Amino acid sequence: MTAVVQVSKLRAYYQTNQFGVQRDVRAVDDVSLQVQSNEIYGLAGESSCGKSTLIKTIAGAIRPPLAVQGGSVVFNFGGRELDLYASGPEAAAAIRWKHLSYVMQGSMGVLNPVRRVRHSFVDFAFRHIAKPMPQFMDIVTAHLARVHLGAEVLQAYPHELSGGMRQRVAIALATVCKPDLIIADEPTTALDVIVQKGVLGMIREVQRELKSSLILVTHDMAVHANLCDRLGVMYAGRLIEEGATRDIFSRPRHPYTAHLIASLPRIGHTATIKALDGAPPNLADPPAGCRFHPRCPLAMDVCKQQAPAFVEAAPGHRVACFAVNPVGVM
Amino acid sequence: MWTVVRDLLRHNRGFAWGVFLLGFVLLIAALSFVSPYNPLDSYVVPPDMPPGWPHLLGTTSRGQDVFWMLSFAIRNTLAFGLLVALISRLLSLTIGLVAGYAGGWVDRVLMSINDTFIVIPLFPILVLFYFVMRDNMSWVALAGVVACLGWAYDARLIRSVAMSLRTREFTETSIFSGMSMSRILVEEHLPYVMPIVFSTTMNNINWSIGLEVTLSVLGFTDINTPTIGSMIYWANQHTAMVAGVWWWIAFPVALVIMTFIGLFLLAVSMNEFIDPRSRFGRGPT
Amino acid sequence: MRAYAAYLLHRFGQFLLVVFIGMNIAFVVTHATPIDPVEQSIAAATAFGSTSPEAIAMMRQSLRELYGVQGGLWPQYASFWKRVLVLDFGPSLSAFPTPVSALIWRALPWTVGLLIVSTTITWVLGNLLGGLAGYLRDNRSLRVTGLVLMGFHPIPYYIVALLLLIVFGHLWPVLPITGGAQMNMARGWSPEFVLSVLQHSVLPVLSLVLVGLGGWFMGMRSLVSNIVSEDYVVYAELGGVARGRILRSYVMRNALVPQVTGLAMSLGGIFNGAIITEQVFGYPGIGALLISAVHAGDYSLVLGLTTVSIVAVSVAVLAIDMLYPLLDPRVKVA
Repeated sequence: MTAVVQVSKLRAYYQTNQFGVQRDVRAVDDVSLQVQSNEIYGLAGESSCGKSTLIKTIAGAIRPPLAVQGGSVVFNFGGRELDLYASGPEAAAAIRWKHLSYVMQGSMGVLNPVRRVRHSFVDFAFRHIAKPMPQFMDIVTAHLARVHLGAEVLQAYPHELSGGMRQRVAIALATVCKPDLIIADEPTTALDVIVQKGVLGMIREVQRELKSSLILVTHDMAVHANLCDRLGVMYAGRLIEEGATRDIFSRPRHPYTAHLIASLPRIGHTATIKALDGAPPNLADPPAGCRFHPRCPLAMDVCKQQAPAFVEAAPGHRVACFAVNPVGVM
Repeated sequence: MWTVVRDLLRHNRGFAWGVFLLGFVLLIAALSFVSPYNPLDSYVVPPDMPPGWPHLLGTTSRGQDVFWMLSFAIRNTLAFGLLVALISRLLSLTIGLVAGYAGGWVDRVLMSINDTFIVIPLFPILVLFYFVMRDNMSWVALAGVVACLGWAYDARLIRSVAMSLRTREFTETSIFSGMSMSRILVEEHLPYVMPIVFSTTMNNINWSIGLEVTLSVLGFTDINTPTIGSMIYWANQHTAMVAGVWWWIAFPVALVIMTFIGLFLLAVSMNEFIDPRSRFGRGPT
Repeated sequence: MRAYAAYLLHRFGQFLLVVFIGMNIAFVVTHATPIDPVEQSIAAATAFGSTSPEAIAMMRQSLRELYGVQGGLWPQYASFWKRVLVLDFGPSLSAFPTPVSALIWRALPWTVGLLIVSTTITWVLGNLLGGLAGYLRDNRSLRVTGLVLMGFHPIPYYIVALLLLIVFGHLWPVLPITGGAQMNMARGWSPEFVLSVLQHSVLPVLSLVLVGLGGWFMGMRSLVSNIVSEDYVVYAELGGVARGRILRSYVMRNALVPQVTGLAMSLGGIFNGAIITEQVFGYPGIGALLISAVHAGDYSLVLGLTTVSIVAVSVAVLAIDMLYPLLDPRVKVA
């Protein structure tokens, strides 16, 4: 299996200059990961840990004040390689939607509000599906049926559809060209539980049929447990643990991950869950060394001075912690 | 609040220029208090003299020193603008805040009336007013009428701020924690409302000065009071442009343009300051 | 369809309200004076000429009815409205016995033409430039253009008109500065006349356009720079939609919606500007007519023009309101 996308030492900061004060918010600080084909890779972590920024950077949705400071994102679609930030915009435009698509957080506003839904399909997908318009519309209608939507949706305006319907349209839109890699940013947040279940099921169905890879970002660990093959945990702009979902849930090695898993409510579990002290660090001025050390129950002296390396503690399972891997390099 | 002003001065060029221009204009207006000439007198100096010494900006065909006339003119014009702005603040704040906070049918009725005043062309009505009042119209009365016609646009802006404040979370938190409505209004909401009141005031002063100039130039006000508009009116009556006495028109026009641009810059830079998206949308420069 | 009908009804009601309140203000203004308006008008109107006693009697009668100074307050109100609703303001005092409506009818096309041309140019050009400036933030020429336009914007119409008059009247006289067309030319649709009209309209149109552009430019630019970070635009960029299409279909289409509302709201101000511009350039529209009517003490004409102004602007606003739902499918009744 070849990696569909390879992220190496990626750094992306928000740089602001307000009234003479320059500030760098280090939202993505030296992240390296790989996603294989036909794999669902989950990104977990609490709010403002940088996971949204990470996938925006992977998708190339960079806009000032966000800027890439270093590292690379290399795609491999059907044998052809593309270094996103070393190539020009035309190369990026060529892969968009055909090979790489995106499901946005909160699909409330992703469709053009003054145009009917079918225009969005035409704008995004027509040029990739090289067929005349009537056939194209048939393909789109058939595809909509997969997400249990009728053809009348195409004639409607976005505000005439319910939230759940819009989310399904977004999924249909993202998958109509059968892309190799789909990036989904919190696709089920802000949906009620029943709709969530339907949407998740749909995502899993579509992924199984198309055999696309999927990077799924959500803070909801239950979704990760349900869908993802592999899971990466982020904290304060860095990946701190990564491995098969089952391993992470049954044997988390990083103290933060351990706490995250332990805090999930379980049926039959009645003891009080203890909260972690402190709060996530300010990414404009993060702590030196390991960024988790102010809150970590296992913190040692070396944790305050050096950042631990992200290395394998077991086959296919990487951790960044001195308590697990005493040898750290930064 | 003073740190805000200082930051704006230092980093927002528009604001700095606005303050500079307006300061200059106010200085000239203040000089009127030490003028050696009474503005209502005429033929106190040799007429039609070009700029030079001792009449820095020349003299008019009516034998008045342009510089000292100008200082009175800009003072009166500014005073008029300020008076209109103050009176119309009362109206637009009251209506805007009541409509924004009350909502429901009160809001709808007030906005229908508001939209009416936005649509109605004011100039014909002012002209009609002058026509009927003729020489019996005092400046204060005119200011009152203008204010009663010009509150609508600002009221709408204030209403939208009030509406968004009413539904924001921190308002509901304050209400739940038992804060009285008046305390909420003064302590929580006023800091949001003040910037928009400031910028709309600047715009309103511009607008009302523009009206004064236009009305006076046409002779529709008490043209014996020295204002920018009346200066231009008299210059036109004496066909200054044709007679070559260009300084009689040029300097009032230049000074009032400075006033307009200065106020405008202040209003725009304050608007930019209020809108947080415009701040963060720009990258590192 | 039902929603559209409800919306139309609502806007028509607003139209009626505007006209009603406007005319009431006119009524209040003319009746709140301490002086006898009839005698004052007649005195002013007959000051310079010699008018026959029968003419004066006719004037006095029609003025009395218009002012409604006979009878109590309610009969006055009724006779006022009776006249207004049929747009019969009687004979003009300054151009006796030409009826007021004839004078207005003659001047109206000039003003309407001036307004339509200059408003269209201003709105379209201002929005186009502002939209580009908001989307292409680093473009230097757009930024410079913006500064120039914003420099003109706060200056009142009169001053800009005066500046243009000075420049083109005294310094560089290449364009005619007074009149709607050449004085001694025959009216009609002949090419010479049309050309003359066009020539004479350049300065008035330019004056209105220069002041107005800045406002639309600024508004559109700030709208577009906000819309550019909206989800649907970011998503379209992620989808690799062509830039031109994003600009047209996603950015501009959405930004124009509030600009149309803005157009309706600013028609009153634009009309005011047209009045004063006509005066400066001697353009024979209802603006110049209004001002000369005031100077001549011609109350009937002034009232007629005020009425026509209020009604005309309200109709224009209603027309824009009716087209609005075509742009924004989300419109609701209230």
